[in-house]
Amino acid sequence: MAAVGTSVPRRDGREKVTGRTAYIDDMSFPGAWHGVVVRSPVAHGRLKGRHLDPAFDWSQVVVVTPEDIPGENLVHEIIKDMPLLCDDEIQYLGEPLALVAAPTKDLAREAAGYITFDIEELPSIQTLKEVIAQYKTDEGKLHKFCAQTIVKGDIEKGFEEADYIIEQEYWAGHHEQAYLEPQGLVAVPGEDGSVLIEGSMQCPYFVALELLPTLNLPPEKLRVRQAPTGGAFGGKEEFPTWLGGYVALMAMKSKRTVKLIYDRHEDIRYTTKRHPSWSRYKTGFKKDGAITAVKVEFFLDGGAYGTLSSIVLARGVLHAFIGYRCDNVFIDGRVYRTHSFPCGAFRGFGAPQAIWGLESQMDLMARACDMTPHAFRLRNAVVPGDTTATGQTLAECEACGTVLERTLEKCDFEAKLARCTRGAQDADTWYGVGLAFFAHGSAFTGDGEARFKAKAALDLALDDAERPVVLIRCSSVEMGQGAHTVLPQIVADGLCADLRFVQNPLPDTALVPNSGPTVASRTTMIVGNTLYGAGRKLKAKLEAYASARFFESQAAILKDSVFSAGHDRVDFEEVALAYLKEHGPVRVEHQYELDPKIAWNQETFEGDAYPSYSWGCNVVELEIDRATLQIEVKKVTGVFDVGRVINPMLAMGQLEGGFLQAFGYALLERIGVRNGAYDADRFQTYIIPTMLDAPPFDFEFMEYPYTFSPPGAKGIGELPIDGLSPAVANAIEMAAGIRMTEIPVTPESLFEALRKQVKS
Amino acid sequence: MKEVTRKWIINGKERQVTCPPLRRLLDVLREDLHLTGTKEGCGEGECGACTVLVNGDPVVSCLIPAGQVPDGAEILTVEGLEETDLGRLLQEAYLEKGAVQCGFCIPGMIMSSYALLQRNATPTELEIREAHAGNLCRCTGYVKIVEAVQYAASKLS
Repeated sequence: MAAVGTSVPRRDGREKVTGRTAYIDDMSFPGAWHGVVVRSPVAHGRLKGRHLDPAFDWSQVVVVTPEDIPGENLVHEIIKDMPLLCDDEIQYLGEPLALVAAPTKDLAREAAGYITFDIEELPSIQTLKEVIAQYKTDEGKLHKFCAQTIVKGDIEKGFEEADYIIEQEYWAGHHEQAYLEPQGLVAVPGEDGSVLIEGSMQCPYFVALELLPTLNLPPEKLRVRQAPTGGAFGGKEEFPTWLGGYVALMAMKSKRTVKLIYDRHEDIRYTTKRHPSWSRYKTGFKKDGAITAVKVEFFLDGGAYGTLSSIVLARGVLHAFIGYRCDNVFIDGRVYRTHSFPCGAFRGFGAPQAIWGLESQMDLMARACDMTPHAFRLRNAVVPGDTTATGQTLAECEACGTVLERTLEKCDFEAKLARCTRGAQDADTWYGVGLAFFAHGSAFTGDGEARFKAKAALDLALDDAERPVVLIRCSSVEMGQGAHTVLPQIVADGLCADLRFVQNPLPDTALVPNSGPTVASRTTMIVGNTLYGAGRKLKAKLEAYASARFFESQAAILKDSVFSAGHDRVDFEEVALAYLKEHGPVRVEHQYELDPKIAWNQETFEGDAYPSYSWGCNVVELEIDRATLQIEVKKVTGVFDVGRVINPMLAMGQLEGGFLQAFGYALLERIGVRNGAYDADRFQTYIIPTMLDAPPFDFEFMEYPYTFSPPGAKGIGELPIDGLSPAVANAIEMAAGIRMTEIPVTPESLFEALRKQVKS
Repeated sequence: MKEVTRKWIINGKERQVTCPPLRRLLDVLREDLHLTGTKEGCGEGECGACTVLVNGDPVVSCLIPAGQVPDGAEILTVEGLEETDLGRLLQEAYLEKGAVQCGFCIPGMIMSSYALLQRNATPTELEIREAHAGNLCRCTGYVKIVEAVQYAASKLS
C-alpha cells in the first residue's frame, strides 16, 4: 500500500488536540532566568553613551552590552550589515542596545528601566512613500541595499512595436506573519563553554552556523534544537538567529539558563514583516492582445538593515513577469533603506508583491484592447516550450495555462463576468468577479540546490519498546505545514515499508545532517526526494542482508513490508530486528542531486531560474455594499498544480490557510509606520481574519508531477499567498468601476478613491 | 494585596489555589497548576488561545482574575477533554478532518467547540462560525475546523 497520495492524519495531531505538545514556553527549565531586550527610543541617531543608574542594585542581574560579545558584533545574514547590539549609529526605533537577564521577568524589566542612553537624534526616512518621492526627484540621497535586473530582448523595440502602452504604479504595505505562538528561545550554557539553544524556529542550522562568529564558538560548542513550533510562515526563518544571539549572550555571561519569550505586543512591534513594495509597470501590447514589451520597476522597503532582502528581491523580480510570453522584458529591482524595523521573510518572499502588480496590470491591458480578462490571459499564457523572462524553456510537465482554463470552466467565469455591475449607479450592491493566474518557483533559485547540497539521513534503530524504527534525520522542521507527516509518507514509499515503522523526531543539530532551511517551498520537493533516496538505500542494504541471512543468498525484494525471495517471505520487523542485533543501529545518508540540465547565471539572472514551477489560478467573487463600502468576498475558486500531491488533506489545508493569509493581506491587515513605530502593534489593531471573515473556498488540484525528483512533488507552501490580491482588485474594478492600486483595500481607501473619481 | 484561597473543580478534580486575587487565571493554570495545555497567544483577550470553560461558559483566561472565580467553580481545560465523551468526540473529529496544523490555537479552539456543542448539538454553519469567532487561527483558513465541528455534531445526533 503506497502511503504517498493518501490523506494520512497528521502524525503530531493527537499530542496537539490533547494539549500535551510542549512548546518552548510550556517546557520546564528549573532555575531559568528571564531576558529582556533594551531598545532604542529613536529611529535614527548616534549612540553617545550608556549609564547604569546607581540607584539600582545591579548585583541581582546581568547586563549584556556590545563589549560582551566574544566575536564579531554582526548578524551573519546574506547582507552582513547589522550588529547584534547597536554600539554606534542607531538605524531604527527598537534597535537592541543592551540585554538584561534576571531571576524574574519583572526584575529584568525593572532593571532595564534604570539604563539610560545618550543619543544624538538624526533625521530619518521612515516609509517607502518617502523613498519613492525622493527617488522621483533626487535618487542620490537614498541608501540602496541591493539591486537586480532581468533583461530579455530589446525593451525599446518592444515599445515601438506596441499599439498601446500603459503605465501604472502599485503599492503594498507591511504584512505581519502573526503565527499564533510568539517568538521564544531558551539558551542553556554548558560547563565546557558550550551553549544549547532550544525553541521555536524554522531553520535550526541558520541559528547553529550564523552565530558561530558572533559568539566565537567552534561548531561543536553550539547546539540547536527545535521545539514544537506554533506557526512561522517565514517569521521564524531568520529572526530566531537574532533572538538566539541575544539569549546565548545572556546565558554565556550569567552562566545560567535564560529564557526569552516575546509577548504579542513585543512580537508585532519588534520582529520582521513582509517588505512593503512599490512597483511601476509600463507595458506595451498590440491590438490583438499580444504583449510586446514589459518594463517593471520593483522596489522594496528593506527597513533599517539589508539582512536577507537581496534574496527577497531576487524572488520578487523572478515573479514580476511570469506565466506569460513576451520577447522584450526589462525588470529593475531594488531594495532601499528606511529607518524602520528590518523587513524579512514571509511566505511568498517577494512574489506576492510582484504578482500583485503584474496581475493587476494584465486586467488594465485587457480592457485597453477591449478583451475580456480571461481572453487576454489565454492569448498570452505560456505553454510548454515557451521561454520565461530569464530565458528558461518551460518543460513539458508544466501545467501552465491548463490551470487557467480549468479555473474558468470550474467557476463559469464568463457567465459571472456578464453579471458585474461595473460601478452602476442604480445598484444597491455592487457585484464583481476578478481573476489572477500565477506561478511560483519551487526550491532555491537557479542552481542553488546544487550548490547547497542538501543532505538527509535515516537511522534504523530500536525504539523504547525494543521495536525496530526508521528515524528521519533532517533539519527541515514541522511548523504546522505537515512536514512530519508528509516526509514519513515519502520515506515509507521509498523504503517499501509501512508508515508505522517511520518516525520523525524534532531536529537537533547534534544529530541531523543539514537538509537546509525550511523555506522556499522546498521541503516536500527537495528534502522529500532526498529522503526518498535514503529510503531506497536503506531498502537495498536490508535486502542484501536479508538475502544472506534468510534466503540463502537468493536475491530478496522488500515490498509492502515483506522481504521475499522465490516463495519464501520474512516480514520487515523480523529482518530489521535481526540486522540490529547483529550490526547495531545503522544510518544511511543521501544528498539531493539537482537536474544537471539546470543552467543559471546568478550575475545576469539568465537561464533556468527554478528547477520547476507550481501553477495556480484563482477567481474572486465579491459584493460591495453601496452604503458602507464593505467588501464581502462571496467565494474564491482556485485550481493548482503543485506536482504530485503527497497528502491531499494536508495539501488542501495549505491552500486554505495560505489563502486566508492572502485575504488578510488584500483586505484587512493594514499596518503603517508612524514616528518610527508600527501603528498597529497588537491583535486589537492588527486585524487578522476570524472564522466569520473567512470566505468559502472551492479549490482543486491538477497533478503534473515533477518527474526528475520522485515522488514528484513541487512547491506548495507559498503558491496560495501569491494571487489573491490582484484578483480582489480586479473584482473591485468589475464591481465598482474603479481601479485600486494599493493593498490592503479597505472601505476607507475605497471611499477615498471613489471620492477622488467623482471630483475628477 | 492580600492573597485569596480558592477551591475549584478543575477537570473533575478538586484543586485548591492560593494567589493574589488579580493573578490571571491563565497564570494560575499554567504556572501554579502546571496545566500548560492552555496557551497565551496575545494576553489581551483577542486571540482565544487561552480559552477555558468556567461553569460551562468559554472565557479567555488571560482576562479573568483568579479572585473573580468563586469557590466551587468547575473549570475545564484541554487536559480534561479526554475524560469527557464530547471531548473525545471532538478530538477525533479534529484529527480526522485535518483541523490541526501548528496546534497552538487548538487548546482554545476546541474548548469553544465543546462549549457550543454542549448547549447546541445541531448548530448551523453560521452558529459554528460565531461560536469560534473569538479564536484566531493563522494556519488553517478555518475550513477544516468548521468541518470537524459539523462532523462531531453529526455524531451526536
